[in-house]
Amino acid sequence: MKRIGMLLAASFLWATTVLADPPPGYPFVGYDAGLAAARASGKPIFLYFGRYGCAWCDHTNKQTFSDASLKKLYTKNYVLVYVDAESGKRLTLPSGERITEAELGVRLQAFATPLFVYLTPQGDKIVQIPGFKTVQDFREYDRYVRGGHYKQKSLLEFLGDKS
Amino acid sequence: MRAAALLLALLAWPAQAAWEWSAPLTVNSVQGAAIFPHLESANRRGVAVSGDTVAVVWEDNRDGSPQCYLATRPAAAAAFQPEIRLSQGDCYEPVVAALGEGRFVAAWEEAGRAHARVLPGGAVLKLSDAEAAQVTLAVAGERMYAAWAEQAGRFRRIVVARLALEGDALSMKTRRPVEAKKPADEQGWPALAVAGDGSVTVAWEDRRSRHTVPMASRSRDGGKTFVPPFRLTDKASGSVDGLGAGSGAMRPTLTAWGGQGVVAVWLDKRNFLSGYDVYAALGGGTRRFGKNIRVQDSFGDNMVQWHATVVGDAGGRLLALWDDARDGTPDVWLSEWDGKAFGDDVAVPAASGPGAQSDPVATLDAVGSLHVVWLDRDEAAGTRIRYVRAVWR
Repeated sequence: MKRIGMLLAASFLWATTVLADPPPGYPFVGYDAGLAAARASGKPIFLYFGRYGCAWCDHTNKQTFSDASLKKLYTKNYVLVYVDAESGKRLTLPSGERITEAELGVRLQAFATPLFVYLTPQGDKIVQIPGFKTVQDFREYDRYVRGGHYKQKSLLEFLGDKS
Repeated sequence: MRAAALLLALLAWPAQAAWEWSAPLTVNSVQGAAIFPHLESANRRGVAVSGDTVAVVWEDNRDGSPQCYLATRPAAAAAFQPEIRLSQGDCYEPVVAALGEGRFVAAWEEAGRAHARVLPGGAVLKLSDAEAAQVTLAVAGERMYAAWAEQAGRFRRIVVARLALEGDALSMKTRRPVEAKKPADEQGWPALAVAGDGSVTVAWEDRRSRHTVPMASRSRDGGKTFVPPFRLTDKASGSVDGLGAGSGAMRPTLTAWGGQGVVAVWLDKRNFLSGYDVYAALGGGTRRFGKNIRVQDSFGDNMVQWHATVVGDAGGRLLALWDDARDGTPDVWLSEWDGKAFGDDVAVPAASGPGAQSDPVATLDAVGSLHVVWLDRDEAAGTRIRYVRAVWR
């Protein structure tokens, strides 16, 4: 019985390692579930476009998403969606078109992962930001999105105003 | 003087040979702003030529759910005939292969299982008992194979079946997973090629190394046994400073080429700052795949490439096609093997310019003509599936 317990624990640890592309402990969901949840809640979507085995995603998870206050901020205020850049899993765009998760990367012209995309509750893109980002970066992006500044200015203009 | 000029022109003739393109045709008869056709499939096998008939398969949602369609065009016809629907339930990622004399075999995922059917006529054969997706086909003479990704426990694995044909009736002679053991991680998007020596090569995406790696195997006994899988990519897996597991590479495609060869082409992110590039490896038959070769030229280097595919023939012609937006909007590009390297990228004339042209599928027919099909996206009018034929002159 003890051996079975150890095996189960080991397989759980292995599974969480394998599936740890989104940062562990965050309530990330798939695209379709996230879009439905955002429409129901009125919360914006934070879409993490990652790749299985991606070093910079791993770096971002460890350096940035490990921050407890950031986790609280994003978990409370966003519907968190994770999309795998190379997956054949299907999703349905707001237009009604069904594509694969990998094809979403084509539509976003994603050249690197991680790619972070902020969407309105209806699934319209607000801004997309590639590459490693710090906790402070994500706090600024949050202010830009939830403060509604994207309606008046680009992210670069907003960040320029802040400095 | 005139004779000298004529001689010079004749000497220069081989250098001036190029693809001569026909006027493009629209394949799908129904379009609309809320109708979304897709040419995606395992090994990107969406067009085939049998005798003098061209067949194109795709999926769209015109009937309110994703369904698979096939349209044909005899060479003498001015247009494609109205398409027929292949499926009853939700259908994805159809493929088609030529059987000769105007007959085809198509395969697709429907209701979570892989299916195949001979056309025209023919009954539907269910290929998989377990949940399956991403089916593909390869035919060479009497040898006909299908491969798909099938659920085996927690993950999918690659299964290859040898098919037999009697009249219009398809059956399975063998059906084997490439590896008998349960997969340790996800496998998918198989590609198949039957080489001139009769061996069948299968390539697929594989995540056993904790990132996506194109892998391959081969059977010399008609799909009864397969050699242990090997990597197509020559870039090793491994973390960087303890981070990640390796660069991404996806959607391998295969073609038989020359006397006994097989060529693989895939999307590869080893240069991660420019997104996916198109890479190739030559091999097959008794040979392992060789060193990886970058396909696109320097003008495409800083641009992400998508939807790569490869077509070859027994005569030695070999082309890779893909789409990228180096000129501002997505265009379809091709590059041809010149014996030592892939040559300069050439935009397919009807599939380039203003607007978005993407998702190429292609084939070479028995006389070496190139047939290319792609999506021409227009959000207001709807997406057209377009077709063009090219002759080398």
